Amino acid sequence: MTNNLQIPPGMGLNVTAYINSSNPVYSVGGIIAFAIIVAIIISIFGYVFGWLERKMIAKVQHRHGPTYVGKFGILQNFADLVKLLAKEDIIPDSAERTLYIIGMPLLVSVSIFLVLLLPFAPSLQATNFAFGILIIFVILSFTPILLFITAFSTSNKFADISAQRSVLILLSYELPMILAVAAVGIAAHGYNIASIIDAQSSGIFAIFMPLGLVVLFITMLAELERPPFDLREADSELIAGWLTDMSAPYYALSLFLDYSRMLLGSLLITILFFGGWEGPLLPPIVWLLAKASIISIFIIIIRATTVRMRIDSILKFGWKWLLPLSLINLVIAYIIFA
Amino acid sequence: MAVTRINIGPVHPSTHGVLRLVADIDGDTVVDVQPHIGFLHRGVEKLVETRMFMQNPPYMEKLDYVSPMSYDEAYVAAVEAAMGVEVKERAQYIRVILLELQRIASHLLWIGTMCNDIGQMFTAFMWGFQDRDMVLNLLEEAAGGRMFYVNMRIGGMVRDLPPDFTDHALALMDYMEKRVREYERYLERNPVFMERMKGVGVLSYDDAKNLGVTGPVLRASGVNFDARKNKTYYVYQKLHFSTQVQMAGDNLARYKVRMMEIRESIRLIREGIKALPDGDALGMPVKLILPAAKNRISIVSRELPRGECIMYLVADAQKPYRLSIRSPSFINLAALNFLAKGQRTADMFGIMGTLDLVMGCVDK
Amino acid sequence: MKIEREHLKEKLAEMKKSGFDYLEKITAVDYSDHLDVIYMLENIEESKEEIVEVTIPANDAWVPSVMKLFLAADWYERELSEMFGVNIIGRSAERLLLEKWDGKSPPLRKSFQWGMPYEEGAK
Repeated sequence: MTNNLQIPPGMGLNVTAYINSSNPVYSVGGIIAFAIIVAIIISIFGYVFGWLERKMIAKVQHRHGPTYVGKFGILQNFADLVKLLAKEDIIPDSAERTLYIIGMPLLVSVSIFLVLLLPFAPSLQATNFAFGILIIFVILSFTPILLFITAFSTSNKFADISAQRSVLILLSYELPMILAVAAVGIAAHGYNIASIIDAQSSGIFAIFMPLGLVVLFITMLAELERPPFDLREADSELIAGWLTDMSAPYYALSLFLDYSRMLLGSLLITILFFGGWEGPLLPPIVWLLAKASIISIFIIIIRATTVRMRIDSILKFGWKWLLPLSLINLVIAYIIFA
Repeated sequence: MAVTRINIGPVHPSTHGVLRLVADIDGDTVVDVQPHIGFLHRGVEKLVETRMFMQNPPYMEKLDYVSPMSYDEAYVAAVEAAMGVEVKERAQYIRVILLELQRIASHLLWIGTMCNDIGQMFTAFMWGFQDRDMVLNLLEEAAGGRMFYVNMRIGGMVRDLPPDFTDHALALMDYMEKRVREYERYLERNPVFMERMKGVGVLSYDDAKNLGVTGPVLRASGVNFDARKNKTYYVYQKLHFSTQVQMAGDNLARYKVRMMEIRESIRLIREGIKALPDGDALGMPVKLILPAAKNRISIVSRELPRGECIMYLVADAQKPYRLSIRSPSFINLAALNFLAKGQRTADMFGIMGTLDLVMGCVDK
Repeated sequence: MKIEREHLKEKLAEMKKSGFDYLEKITAVDYSDHLDVIYMLENIEESKEEIVEVTIPANDAWVPSVMKLFLAADWYERELSEMFGVNIIGRSAERLLLEKWDGKSPPLRKSFQWGMPYEEGAK
């Protein structure tokens, strides 16, 4: 037995090889190691971007942002987290108790699960489905439904309105988003994530299909409900939208949800249009995270500058512009690659 | 779809104070919205009846905490009219300069809060506050206070302008002109902003008159009415400025009127400083017992940043017998139901933002 | 310009036709035995202001509603009826706009009792 558990030659730090190994001990160990690594990545990313967003928006607004806790206020979010978790957990009497309690944790776990389906490097990936990217987008489309249920469970009118809006937005952006992904599928001759990245080794898809990138970026903003599509939270209209009656621990979870979804969105854009981990010199995972970070910074800058769109104009925009653009992009992809 | 009744406020991010709205919403369309006001009602009109003339300006300033000096001046002008006192010429110029500074400060704050209402993440808000702060610094130099000034005395001012005030003011005006351009570039080139503003909350010429809305809201509907021109006072007829009128009557027109008014104010301040005569600007020292009022009834009309304010003062010898204030925000808020009906829920807040409400001014 | 309250509506309608179509304010002054209700009208095109005064007895205070002529009168009339206890004839009674009071002693009348505790006043 001891012989079996020694690291076989050639596997080294290759988590993928462990997971795919025929030895169940290695396989389970590999999966656990992968989950821990990804959890650390999500936590660090969420934390750093939670802080960076505050700092960057403060910079745009000529403020300082957090400065007091830690160097450059880096520990401010941690202090806030402690405060939020230490607060009383109040569940309104009129709320649907079970759904209220499980809704938010379920949403967070779904978004983390989706990150787990993604590969981070050739040597760091858990799954390798033939239709990997489609599975991710299908599950991603279910999140507004879950969100609707969670918001509905608080039985607050503001939450109701925000949940309705959330589902309405789903109608307008889901189709263009899937069409943009389909164009990538045509270009890569398949929906396997690793093969999509491999297909971009000669040139990233952003060069061949700029329209698809634009469509995917905009629809991803809508999917993540970041400004200008933040109708779900709409703080100047709906107080806090679906979070109006959520007590502090759930609010902390929702913040974590936002940033983990931001990571997910940036990673998906990186993989589909910017060649994933492809890049010289540095290790693949550094390339992937660096590209995703740059996209996240773009998402943050948009938040600082734009105003909120109205629900009817989002629907109009989705059907009038995004859908035709994504169809044109599909045709272009067919002409170039098929 | 069923009509949902939602209660907005009195504690809500975009009601600008303590306003409660009861809105009936059908899907995403506003069917009816009833403003419930009075949370900040302090009975100022009754309070002033119990106090001597010059004990009242501090109460007047609290009516509108965004442009306190304008209210202060309107009240003191009413008392001056009751006493038949002429304001010294230098003091007239100083008042015009300070009032226009106050108008700029108020409009800058408005840009910020309005952008917040249509869903911006506090960027214009912070910029507006930062620039407003510079104007407040200037007003502090002149009056000694940042928030409330109580800077008017009968016939003049409490104190003359400090010696380097004019230099500072001119330097600030140069800066402000640049900033206004920057705001316009930043906002009007944003297609989402334009979409939220253009064609939303349209108020026609006749409706605007019929509803009695005032100030920039009235002028945005094409009604050429500005108390500074139509009921001119002080040295406004000597200075050159134009009434800003827009024809569209929508949110964008209201925005444009206010942006142009900042420009006009800059022009007025520059010209006022150029023409500022030498001499004495001090008013009567503050005493409880003043010369008895001569006129029983005096009506004074002033263009505040929010609109036209009328002070209807019935004077006893030493104190007001009755002071009726026509507060511009009050009548502008009354038009909200008319404007918001049939609009999208999100636009209701945008429209409310462009009305430029201050609850202290609404509730009195 | 002083007129009787019975002729108020016709007079205002006439003035509206002649260009005074902007109602600036409705207010009142309490002179103990009688009230003066004041309508301020503005002719914007010609920059003219006209003030219409209606004198009514304090113990029989009513004026006709002019809301049909000027929508602006809506809140002013409500304020007037609340603050001075003036009945507005010709429009439905609505909830109080600004405060709560006992219904006997309108706040801006000179006969108003000072120092009434709020709870008692609200009853």
